[in-house]
Amino acid sequence: MHTTQEKYIKRFGPLRIAEHWLNALTFILLVVTGLSQKFHNYELSQWVIMSFGGIDTARLVHRYSGIMLAVLTLQHVLVASFGVIALKWQPSMIIHKKDFQDAIANIRYYLGLQEHGASCDRFDYKQKFEYWGVVVGGMLMIGTGLALWFPTIVTHYLPGELVPVAKALHTNEALLAVMVIIIWHIYNAIFSPEVIPLDTVIFTGKISLSRMLHEHPVEYRRLSGEPPAIAEPQAIYEPGDYQVPAEEETLQDA
Amino acid sequence: MKYRQLLILMTAFIISLAASGRCGAVLSEDDQACLGCHEAQQSMTFKNGDILKLKVTAQDVEKSVHGTIGCSACHGFTAENHQRKSYKNKKEFSALAARQCLQCHSTLDNPIHKKLMGESGTGAICTDCHGSHRIKRVRELARGNQYCLTCHGKEMTLTYKNGEKATILVQESVLNASVHKNLSCVDCHVRVSAESHPLRDFRSKRDFMLVMADNCRRCHFDKYAKTLEGIHFKVMSQGNTHAPVCTDCHGSHAIASARKDRLANAKKCEQCHSAVYAVYAKSVHGAALIDEHIEDVPICSDCHKAHDNAGPHTADFRISVPQTCAGCHEKKEIMQKYGLSTKVVDTYLQDFHGVTMKFYRQFGKTDKQIAVCIDCHGVHDIARVKSGNAAIVKQNLTKRCQKCHPGATANFPDSWISHYEPNFSKAPMVFMIDWGYRMFIPFMIVGLLLQIFLHIWRYIVNR
Repeated sequence: MHTTQEKYIKRFGPLRIAEHWLNALTFILLVVTGLSQKFHNYELSQWVIMSFGGIDTARLVHRYSGIMLAVLTLQHVLVASFGVIALKWQPSMIIHKKDFQDAIANIRYYLGLQEHGASCDRFDYKQKFEYWGVVVGGMLMIGTGLALWFPTIVTHYLPGELVPVAKALHTNEALLAVMVIIIWHIYNAIFSPEVIPLDTVIFTGKISLSRMLHEHPVEYRRLSGEPPAIAEPQAIYEPGDYQVPAEEETLQDA
Repeated sequence: MKYRQLLILMTAFIISLAASGRCGAVLSEDDQACLGCHEAQQSMTFKNGDILKLKVTAQDVEKSVHGTIGCSACHGFTAENHQRKSYKNKKEFSALAARQCLQCHSTLDNPIHKKLMGESGTGAICTDCHGSHRIKRVRELARGNQYCLTCHGKEMTLTYKNGEKATILVQESVLNASVHKNLSCVDCHVRVSAESHPLRDFRSKRDFMLVMADNCRRCHFDKYAKTLEGIHFKVMSQGNTHAPVCTDCHGSHAIASARKDRLANAKKCEQCHSAVYAVYAKSVHGAALIDEHIEDVPICSDCHKAHDNAGPHTADFRISVPQTCAGCHEKKEIMQKYGLSTKVVDTYLQDFHGVTMKFYRQFGKTDKQIAVCIDCHGVHDIARVKSGNAAIVKQNLTKRCQKCHPGATANFPDSWISHYEPNFSKAPMVFMIDWGYRMFIPFMIVGLLLQIFLHIWRYIVNR
């Protein structure tokens, strides 16, 4: 599919790639040490905890990974806010009405009710869903995690009933996040017919022109000024939603 | 005169009656002559007023091991030369009669005889123990307890080396009420037999008890083996002879089943642990046992174990507490009676402390401290959680939390939802969050999977 002559477009800088993989590592550590506590009756969990050197070490790893997640989430929010406000980055993750329309359009397309799927901008609705899941879910996990780590401090100011509430949120949200990542993210990054055997963008930071045209036609058109490679329903695209391209988002040859 | 004829007639009648009842009875003519008079109910009165019964039946003589040697062998005279002697009292008569025994039996070889009958003895005579006309083989006598009780049924005092005195009296009624009623004395008192009663000189009564208790293991070896792991054995082996041995709890001659009377069982521990018992007696368990005679509640040995009680200050004991409590609190048939939940142990085990405890236990890190049942509920002073003043219960709980969580405030205990599975009335927020996610997670999974399948399907169709 990808020929050597194919052109590539830069999508992510090294900082964003590093951020993704640090997040991934932290997330895996948290899931492994956290779920083995949630499902402590299973032999696999017991093996995991034993491998970490016991429940205390597993909890220690979980808590320090939690700090790591908190740092990553916090820096992301600060960097993104600073970028958008001061450096005039395009707020490409903002959810618009078009994202819901895109989702409906794609499902209609899958069902054969319309000719083409949605044509998306820099991030499609699936990516925005995951992004906000990580940011909002991360905030929730950090808050509830701290409450579980320091229950005496929390109950010094707040009712004690909030501690089991924090636990219920933490443990359920964790399961939800794991399910979404395993099913949705892994499908879209590895098993989806569009990318199989692997979506390499998060490794190389570059996306092929053909995929760009297919998956992010709105962004491509905006960046290049060229007409869209494939026909798309014009009605859903509102150019007024989009800002000047950010520094990273320049066209580049492979 | 009239009486004499009547007497002879009656005697003749009795003899003929007795003879007709016993075929093949062999009594020498001499003996028959003796019995001619002595089988009748008659007695002799001593100068001091003591009365000696003179009646001897043919049956007595025949059953006696000495039945064949004839009356005169011991008494020294026959019917022809019946001497008329006078004695000061019954004791003097018996002592003189018993002296005849020594003609054949050199009894002073036997140490217990020597002690009783020797120079510094008690003045006992052979017949005191062995009887006179019904003398049996010693071996035969020893089959039951009666032989021992001939002496030990009497109130006599022995003195230990340290001056302690003890009675040798053993009440037959006590023996018969014991679970060991079918055993013989010598089954436990192993160094003693009918033939030999060695004289053992113990320093104190306690020393004697310790040696005697050692004999229990001859039958109850399993229990003995367990005691080797027990704290009491350990204390004993460190030289404290007050540490309890079998007989201290189970009794010696009055051994009763430990299972029948649970209150009595608990009271055995009180003998030494009276302060703890006093606290227990006021606890929800103790009060139920003592005041309401509810036998379902635990007694000391249910939690501490009886024989292999390793002591409560070990890490292993601490970490096995939830299991100990689960022994009753997870049993529906017991908890139902008192309207108690059987979920208490499981809710603990599923929560932070329980999970931690479980892992500590699983990986042998038993020395690490984590709250178990007793840390919140107390040990011997376990009280009913729902009874009394809720504010006081909570106040006490806060204090207990503070042991591990310094700085815990009055709000802190509420962070534990009290052994309840979250429900709408007890923990509404947790309940709703759980249910919310329980519905949302499957909804999300199904939705995402559906999109994936549709996507793949579209891809295949397009190709």
